[in-house]
Amino acid sequence: MPTEVILPRVDMDMSTGKVSKWFVEENAKVEKGQVIFEIETDKAAMEIEAPVSGIIRDVTGEEGKEVPVGSVVAMIYGENEAYTAPAAPAEAAPAQAAGGPVQAAPGAPIDIPTATDAPAEPSYSAPSTPPGSSLAAQAPEREPAPADSHGIRATPLARRLARERGIELSRLRGSGPRGRIQHSDVLEHVSARGASSETRPAAPAEHSSSRAPAASSGPREAGALNRVWLRQGTGTPLVLIHGFGSDLNSWRPLLVSMPADRPILGIDLPGHGRSPLTSESTLDDLAASVIDTLLEEGVESLHLIGHSLGSAVAATAAAQSQLDIRSLMLLSPAGLGPDMNGAFISGFLRATSEASLAPWVRELAFEESSLGPSFVSATLRARNGTLTQSQEQLAARLFPDGTQSFTIRHLLENFDWPVKVVYGTEDRIIPARHAAGLPGTVAVHLFPATGHMPQIEQRHAIGRLAAELARLG
Amino acid sequence: MDANVRELSYAQAIQEAMAIAMEQDERVFLMGEDIGVYGGAFQVTGDLVHRFGEDRVMDTPISELGGAGVAVGAALTGMRPIFEFQFSDFATLAMEQIVNQAAKIRYMLGGNVSVPLVMRFPAGSGTGAAAQHSQSLEAWLAHVPGLKVVQPSTPHDAKGLLLAAVADPDPVMIFEHKLLYKMKGPVPEGYYTVPIGKAETRRQGRDLTIVATAIMVHKSLDAAAQLAEEGIDVEVIDLRSLRPMDTPAIIESVKKTSRLLCVYEGVKTLGIGAEVSAAIAESEAFDYLDAPVMRLGGAESPLPYNPDLEKAAVPQVPDIVAAARKLVRKEA
Repeated sequence: MPTEVILPRVDMDMSTGKVSKWFVEENAKVEKGQVIFEIETDKAAMEIEAPVSGIIRDVTGEEGKEVPVGSVVAMIYGENEAYTAPAAPAEAAPAQAAGGPVQAAPGAPIDIPTATDAPAEPSYSAPSTPPGSSLAAQAPEREPAPADSHGIRATPLARRLARERGIELSRLRGSGPRGRIQHSDVLEHVSARGASSETRPAAPAEHSSSRAPAASSGPREAGALNRVWLRQGTGTPLVLIHGFGSDLNSWRPLLVSMPADRPILGIDLPGHGRSPLTSESTLDDLAASVIDTLLEEGVESLHLIGHSLGSAVAATAAAQSQLDIRSLMLLSPAGLGPDMNGAFISGFLRATSEASLAPWVRELAFEESSLGPSFVSATLRARNGTLTQSQEQLAARLFPDGTQSFTIRHLLENFDWPVKVVYGTEDRIIPARHAAGLPGTVAVHLFPATGHMPQIEQRHAIGRLAAELARLG
Repeated sequence: MDANVRELSYAQAIQEAMAIAMEQDERVFLMGEDIGVYGGAFQVTGDLVHRFGEDRVMDTPISELGGAGVAVGAALTGMRPIFEFQFSDFATLAMEQIVNQAAKIRYMLGGNVSVPLVMRFPAGSGTGAAAQHSQSLEAWLAHVPGLKVVQPSTPHDAKGLLLAAVADPDPVMIFEHKLLYKMKGPVPEGYYTVPIGKAETRRQGRDLTIVATAIMVHKSLDAAAQLAEEGIDVEVIDLRSLRPMDTPAIIESVKKTSRLLCVYEGVKTLGIGAEVSAAIAESEAFDYLDAPVMRLGGAESPLPYNPDLEKAAVPQVPDIVAAARKLVRKEA
């Protein structure tokens, strides 16, 4: 006697629900307790386990389709139990109604192709096809027809981008409230798999990766870096490169102080923010990817501003002469001396909670209040395992044994555009004394009562310095 | 801005605008309750009666309907009256003249006449004046074709919009938030106008557009500064005009930020936010939305007298910060 698999009630006021994803295919062998599908209600997604062991058949609960609680969505047959395909749509299996009758001999086990071999088209369009493929068309579709997108929660922007890029929304996982698919989910999907995967049938292995995209193995495909126009404007743009462990969003507090009406571009370094992870880790590699990104973005003339490691990257990129650099501002630059706060790098990377991160964040600024709890929580929110791992590798190459293994000092002598070096005298990450002994053409700005984050601690002054440089054209 | 720019209060800026208008054009005169020797309920007219005399700074009896009727009639005959209500709440008493007469006459008479009337309404809560003296009724009047309705948020705009209103051939309603009267800001000397129907972007941002009016512009800017600390980059648009509304400016901003929050002090339901939200939903910006449009408006209740409750009944900075965070939530 086969066992019914029903759509369960998972909360009190639920009258309907839908299968959001099947994890097994028609005819698959399942173990009692194995997760076989996921349901979605207004409030939650929940994984449902097989009630008994056996062979799963008559999978009728279509992904994304609303059905009443208690509906039969599949049957589980004993391993040696004879299988009779249903001859007519059963009331308990509403999804079957669209399918043609299956003309299988009663009692005879039939060979059912797997879903991934079958064209993902509605079965009613092929009334005269052989029984096998007709049944297959009713098998759980990993790639539902676009019409199914109506039942999916997605923002208008996500829908439009998905439409323009030919991505089916049902393939995306929503990270927004109540599982809503947002802009960022579409972008993540595009960058994680490339648009070409849209037509690829889903292999079982892909289910796990689609449920946890960030955890999929290996670095994301290398490519141009993530960049965002933090502000539109006219004239020569200012390009901002953040420091180690940060991302382009860290510049936002400074924006109000920056010269009005200038376009401002923020770039995420490899292995940071939304840029691809990196296996390359020399300063030259980082600089090369910044140059490629700028050229791809069509930015040739620019004022370049870096912070900490970003300063070293900026100086290295500027030295490659493919760009028309108008000025260079190096905030708390790395690469001017060997010593640094190595404990900070390792402690900062290891921190996984606000309690462990906050003390390291306090090291960054002179006044503790400059970087409040929201900075700490924002930093934590931006973290994930693979990013941190990538940054650890980067740190091991660039800062082995807590030493700055690279130098930009020799580069500064050859620059024939204005260069400013800015330090806080109370910098506890890279000591301000590294500003000593620079070429006389480099302007050195030392801010008292300031730590490693002058762009936050002295934002108005930094904005003023940027304006001075921007005025040069 | 050329000319000499001084720091003036919002009330001083309005007074200066009225003085300039009266100096330039002898058809301009002021009407209102206690605006003469008393200087106005909020001291906006101040000592203008001494400069221009009682014929041009006229105290009216306590009858808003009567006063408004005289003002509409004066405008019809070619004068340029500026009529002050003591509280915008008392617009209710003059609705016949404003809605059925001032707004309609140009249309009823085939465009042969116009009503170049300016009305000033001290509005909003925060002064402990309770339910009958604290409302924000601007959306009521903005619903009426034939009227123009503006809500300056700065001393600069208060002067420039008033001078634009005086120059306008049609009735212009100016809602002035009472808590702004003492706010100081740069105001150029001499004559200038701020165009009616143009919004102003007070702060550029990429993550979220806040469309705000009157005092909510300043609360939104405070919230934006806090949000910047946590990496949320907010654009603040000061609507300035409710009718005509600068919908293109909002559309352009939302296309950039993909998120919209409307902040206004009037009762939330059927208010400014409903109009702004619908305008976006009907526009090409719809396909750029990455979060639901959200409104923060006044509570669905008469405004309380109790100061704590009065504050709680209208959006405050922490409410705006919380709403913005919710909309911009970048990660799950």
